[in-house]
Amino acid sequence: MPHKPPTAEELERRKIVGINEETITDVSSTDYPGHYPGEDHSWDIEAFRRGFRIEFHKNDPFEASFSLIGIDASIANAFRRIMIADIPTLAIETVFINNNTSVIQDEVLSHRLGLIPFKGGHKGLHKFLKWWRRPSDESQVNNSYYDYNTVSLRLEVKCEHNEKAAPGETDPTKLYKHAHVYARDIEFCPVGRQSKYFSGDDAIAPVNPDILIAKLRPGQEISLSMHMHKGVGSDHAKFSPVATASYRLMPVIKIERPILGADAEKFARCFPRGVIALEKVTKKEAAQKGSGYEGHEGEFKAVVADPMRDTVSRECLRHEEFRGKVKLGRRRDHFIYLVESTGQWESDAIFLEAVAHLKKRAQDLEKQVINMVR
Amino acid sequence: MSREEYQVPTGSGSPAVGTGSFGASAPRDYAADGGGTMYYICGDCSVRVPLEKGAAIRCQKCGARVLYKERTKRMVQFEAR
Amino acid sequence: MPRAKAKKEEPVEAGSDVDMEEAPTSHQPENTDDMSVDQDDNDEEEGFEEDEEDEEDDVQRVRLLPGSTPTAASFEFLNEGHTLGNALRYIIMKNPDVEFCAYAIPHPSEAKMNVRIQTFEGTTAIQALQKGLQDLQELCDIVTDKFIDARERYAATTSS
Repeated sequence: MPHKPPTAEELERRKIVGINEETITDVSSTDYPGHYPGEDHSWDIEAFRRGFRIEFHKNDPFEASFSLIGIDASIANAFRRIMIADIPTLAIETVFINNNTSVIQDEVLSHRLGLIPFKGGHKGLHKFLKWWRRPSDESQVNNSYYDYNTVSLRLEVKCEHNEKAAPGETDPTKLYKHAHVYARDIEFCPVGRQSKYFSGDDAIAPVNPDILIAKLRPGQEISLSMHMHKGVGSDHAKFSPVATASYRLMPVIKIERPILGADAEKFARCFPRGVIALEKVTKKEAAQKGSGYEGHEGEFKAVVADPMRDTVSRECLRHEEFRGKVKLGRRRDHFIYLVESTGQWESDAIFLEAVAHLKKRAQDLEKQVINMVR
Repeated sequence: MSREEYQVPTGSGSPAVGTGSFGASAPRDYAADGGGTMYYICGDCSVRVPLEKGAAIRCQKCGARVLYKERTKRMVQFEAR
Repeated sequence: MPRAKAKKEEPVEAGSDVDMEEAPTSHQPENTDDMSVDQDDNDEEEGFEEDEEDEEDDVQRVRLLPGSTPTAASFEFLNEGHTLGNALRYIIMKNPDVEFCAYAIPHPSEAKMNVRIQTFEGTTAIQALQKGLQDLQELCDIVTDKFIDARERYAATTSS
């Protein structure tokens, strides 16, 4: 039985996840061999290369947004999960408190310090610094800190009265010296080769110097040193290089029958600004029989301008006047990523690192499989 | 929280094992070297109050009867988690 | 003078503390001794040793589960989860010689991931698994290339 290859519309239709008032349809992908009789959906690297596209929407150091188009959710999700949990960063791991007479408890202070994101020279962070592993022999812990696996920091703050404060002053930051302890008060203590990789602009420093760590009153003091190590987000969220790494599917809005006049304005208001535009019905359209525009020349009609900005709130499905005129959906193979870096990596570099990481994992496991057979 | 355990200062004894090895030197009790004088913090005026053994528990400055122990002079280690 | 592999001058704490003599010997800085352990000043600075990653490579993380036949096998992966499991399942399911493929994490508190592969005659489950891992690597290369291209194109449009 000869099989007719699927039409372009059919292929397009298969990519859409349907979104109805209360339900969703066609959630799973169907592009597997054997799913459609007579069609070949086997993995073809060249076909993937042809069909796969990336578009950038924004590329700032702290926020990147881009679309991967023509890829399966399982792969896209792997990239997202790797960005959150498997890309290493440097964070404070141990705190040695010599003195802390502030009102904030040692445990809480340590926890707060751990969560501060730090930046530093990329070469030093990503190439020079290595993992620190706790030695199996507990007594050897103090001999396991080297310049290539540990970064030392210090925080020494003492609050005192400010003699120069104006009489009657009530602002504690003016009344006292060091009433507030900020991330900028943390001092980096380079050891060994670290001064080569982390000097000048490349020094290890908090990404945001204005993070408030503690508040002090005269006589109170914080004196501590810290060790930073490399770690991954799956161990603790402080090691995650991203504040956010997420994707959403591209929304699809299909206006199936004309929405005109006051209805069009109401329809536009059902969506975030910019999603729906209003255009005048042209003479040509009005002359077309069966188009639904007959006799409406010059009136406004609703057209889809920018579906990417839609939140798919489904508000338009709640109104009687749009019933049967609009269909909502999402494109199953169009992933709009949003990656917000915490500052140790550039946002776009985190994604590239995630791809490289997945490749490395597959590579390592391939070796393991070969080893298993042997 | 891995607050280091207390270790009896051994002076010249065998090396102590365990997590305490990062810990700084354990200072002697004030009672041992200060001739029985311990320092406390007044709960009212925050002044450092020296107290002899058997003395009245009272701040010499303001007379308050609530005294707090001083914070340990030892380094304390925490995991930043 | 930066010293290669110099021991970190740790005992800041210890040194600044009182009554050093009273500390157990293990508390006292062993400076003179271990400072001279690794004096390797000629160490090539750019030579980032890739040593410590090898130790994990040595452990066998993939295992063939009992009851497997050449064309129908279950594999157990240690220290893998949904990240690789689902990606691998997809790419193996795209293989036309594979009749069935699924992955499972039998228990969330065990760091184990199982993959079941059943193939048609003519190939084996192990071959299908290997092909899946290879395809995944090729896929990653294309994603990297296209990502760099797209980023350059974007930079060109915004810089002008």
